[in-house]
Amino acid sequence: MLSPINVSLESLNLMTLTPMLIPFVGALLILVVDLFKSNLHRSLYVVLSILFLVLDFGALLDSAGIFAKDGITLGVFNVMLIDGLAILSQFIIVATSMLFIPLALTNKRFHEFSYPEFFALFLFMVGGFQFMVASDNLILIFVGLETASLALYTLIAMHNRDKSFEAAIKYFTMGALAAGFYSFGSMVLYALTGSVEINQIATILSANGYADIGFVLVGVTFLLASFAFKLSIVPFHTWTPDVYEGSSAAMAGYMSIVPKIAAFVVAMRLFEFLIHANVVWLEVVLYTFVVVTMTAANVWALVQSDVKRMLAYSSISHAGFVMAAILIGTTQSNSALFLYWILFSFTNLGSFSMLWISRQKELPGYQKTDHSFDKFSGMIKTSPMAAIIMAIFMLSLAGLPPFALFWGKIYMISAAVTGGYTVLALIMALNSAIAGYYYIKLIVYMFMKDPIEDNINNDGSLYVANATTALKSIIGFAIIGTIFAFLAVDPLLEFVTSFVYNSGY
Amino acid sequence: MLDHILSILIFFPALAGVMGFMIDKNSIRSYGVAVAAVEFGLSLWLWFAFDNSVSGMQFMEHMALIPSFGINYILGVDGISLFIIILAAFFTMIGIASLTDTKDVKNMIITLLFLQMTMIGVFAALDAIVFYVFWELSLVPMLYIIGAWGGPLRIYASVKFFLYTFTGSLVMLVGMLFMAYFFYQATGVWSFAILDWYRLILPESFQLWLFAAFFVGFAIKVPMFPFHTWLPYAHGQAPTIGSVILAAILLKMGTYAFIRFSLPLFPDASVYFMYPIAIISIIMIIYTAMVAYAQKDVKQVVAYSSVSHMGVIILGTFALNVEGISGSVFLMIAHGVVSGALFLLVGVIYDRRHTKMMDQFGGLAHVMPKYATIFGIMMMASVGMPLTINFVGEFLSLLGFYQQSHMLTLLAGMAIVVGAIYMLAAYKKMFFGEVTKEENRNLPDVNKRELIALVPLVLITVWLGIYPKPVLGPINNSVESVVQLMHNKATSEEAKMRIPNVSGVVISKTSAKEAH
Repeated sequence: MLSPINVSLESLNLMTLTPMLIPFVGALLILVVDLFKSNLHRSLYVVLSILFLVLDFGALLDSAGIFAKDGITLGVFNVMLIDGLAILSQFIIVATSMLFIPLALTNKRFHEFSYPEFFALFLFMVGGFQFMVASDNLILIFVGLETASLALYTLIAMHNRDKSFEAAIKYFTMGALAAGFYSFGSMVLYALTGSVEINQIATILSANGYADIGFVLVGVTFLLASFAFKLSIVPFHTWTPDVYEGSSAAMAGYMSIVPKIAAFVVAMRLFEFLIHANVVWLEVVLYTFVVVTMTAANVWALVQSDVKRMLAYSSISHAGFVMAAILIGTTQSNSALFLYWILFSFTNLGSFSMLWISRQKELPGYQKTDHSFDKFSGMIKTSPMAAIIMAIFMLSLAGLPPFALFWGKIYMISAAVTGGYTVLALIMALNSAIAGYYYIKLIVYMFMKDPIEDNINNDGSLYVANATTALKSIIGFAIIGTIFAFLAVDPLLEFVTSFVYNSGY
Repeated sequence: MLDHILSILIFFPALAGVMGFMIDKNSIRSYGVAVAAVEFGLSLWLWFAFDNSVSGMQFMEHMALIPSFGINYILGVDGISLFIIILAAFFTMIGIASLTDTKDVKNMIITLLFLQMTMIGVFAALDAIVFYVFWELSLVPMLYIIGAWGGPLRIYASVKFFLYTFTGSLVMLVGMLFMAYFFYQATGVWSFAILDWYRLILPESFQLWLFAAFFVGFAIKVPMFPFHTWLPYAHGQAPTIGSVILAAILLKMGTYAFIRFSLPLFPDASVYFMYPIAIISIIMIIYTAMVAYAQKDVKQVVAYSSVSHMGVIILGTFALNVEGISGSVFLMIAHGVVSGALFLLVGVIYDRRHTKMMDQFGGLAHVMPKYATIFGIMMMASVGMPLTINFVGEFLSLLGFYQQSHMLTLLAGMAIVVGAIYMLAAYKKMFFGEVTKEENRNLPDVNKRELIALVPLVLITVWLGIYPKPVLGPINNSVESVVQLMHNKATSEEAKMRIPNVSGVVISKTSAKEAH
């Protein structure tokens, strides 16, 4: 006869769940509101979402305080793991979401934002990502990942254009494959060690001295492939440009930041103990991934004729650059990863928002895609402010000082230098030079070319067609963050380093 | 106010540039001139307050920026950077004052003011990262100036300029990060402060690699052969003002950085690479002089002559003694004045005839006598005639290198001969003979606005050619401390021998005085 399980409620430490549960509650509330009174204006849902994200952020501040005082906290049968990585990445996820959601308040009416389901799904996604980063348990990571991904596929499809369906299906198929890989890889590790907790796996593997290294490698290969899909590491990147092109610019910007930081955190948890255990094979593979992803994506970005596709490839390249942190695996490199991603989120969300405010509903004849380079020809003549803002975002992405991303870049390259990866540091630096070309290309179009003929009576309204106060304030926020980043780097760096260091990475 | 004069010098033009957006299009030119004049006045004040007897840094400013990573906002000037700062302020002023009718003149002037901020920032920065910030930032306004106001190939030229320099600087950045890491290993603190780095003695093998990394960044900027190919394009396509600033100030960033970074940080490596670099400079001097002779476009002649002169500057720098380095710093100023003036002069004729091809001219001395006179003086200065500003610098540079190698100096001395050939040939084609083209017959001579820009340059050329002491004194003073630092830091026998000990300061001081 089964004896009743006796677990005291305190030992579950349910407080660890608070930050994730807040967006779920918010999502359910939005659905309930819709149940009582439908056809409400989207601004209501936007504000509700923001409110819940603010609550979420507050809860995170709370757990950050607990972490600073007591160190790593476990909860709910030791499934939840609230450490510095979890808190930092949740800060990025929630803050970026807060910046993203007001982008729904566009001037033109877009289909997807009139559904409350959009916002409910969005909050579910945020909660999913939060679970994913705040756990050490391969199963919970999987649940979080899939909750978030399924919601994200739907969000893309809701954009309601032919290309969006294509994008969603493509992303879904690739995501399903990655999920398969992930579960297979986890299964192998479970078979080897009898545990699904990453730290247990690490302990058991090192206890038996990596006796079954062959099987470990099989498991790791599958896990690596699945994360390579999520992080769009070459050669698993093929879905990225199409998916970005199919989704709205705002959504594309969001996708280049949030899902990736979540995947980076899990990759950090999974692969760094192997790197530290001197699994040479993994080091070689990661090294190749990093170099190939940075370089190839940069080269592809050179030949794009659409700004959004160019930015898609550029974000692949940035992901490759940041992947180097996992390869290097020192405290400095892991802090650099977070610093880089915080600064990147400002800049990249800003540049995608700039595309978003210039989004037209009907394309004129000379323009083949939503954001072709031609469209921005001679922008300085008609809307100088917008052109300068866009140029600053581009220069920041190119890593030109003193704009935001430069500081992330030097800290990351410095991490490579201190970690003993001299050649890698040089490759990283030279890749920034290649990337310089395509970012400059947009500046060349905006500042040096004349407006194209058919566009001659363009008075600049084209570039702000979709703008509202909400969108403009988000861009203003991003541009101030990008320009004055140098003031914030020092406190950020100290905060990030102490959190990463105290989590043992 | 003097405590923060460098910050004011750096950020005043930038602030004025931002305010410039509010000013009406028709008044912007006067605004630009006014701002640049105030800036120039401030830079003269800096000179006035500068203590000539101090060889170290003055007007230091210090502010924490990212202290946990060792990045601080540190500024300061010594005799080496002081005059380049004044030169930058001066050229921005006369550049704006002499600006001819330009489309989008408001954008141009605001861009120039931003460019001025970055130029002064580079020469005043004493923290490697702050230096790098301004160094990189200076590319952006120049990219815009060449790309938006240039000739038919302007976009190609501007992007080439940007990418070339950007690539080089990124390699340099990796070098800087390594240098900071070595400093961290030695002391346990991160620091990018140049004065901190000066105290660090590195083993020679490290020095060689770091020297190479910094060299890539600087050599592209100078530009040294074989990295010089971006320069003729940039000059060929840039508008007059762009060429003037590029030749007078931006190129000096590279040579200045050699003296500020490479020599004192890596004395052994500097000695190790002295001969290879000297040979590159001689190739640069002679080869580009020959290329200049073959040009049909007068602006290209001046552009290639620039590269040729930069070769002499590099040669003087790598003489590694007080005469050579002082000479090269002085030649930086001299070359700035002279080539800036020559580009302005080319701009004058281009505005009238809209061509720069020399075969379109001929006999201009009859039509435009004042123009021909000024051009003649500047050309003579460029050739290095005694009693002009260039002569002092070239002579000292060569004198310095003579102590290292007689043969190479002799070859480099050829430069003056070859220089005379292409310059005189170009002058002959443009100014002498009969007026062959009908369009040239009624060209107006230089007008008042152009004279305002040109006459001061002529005066400086002659004044500093005859009496260089006010400028050479402070330069010499600071260079002595640099050379002494190098001598003290050098570890290898050869380096100790090649780099003189200046404790017997008196000897080298007299030799520098005898030189003029």
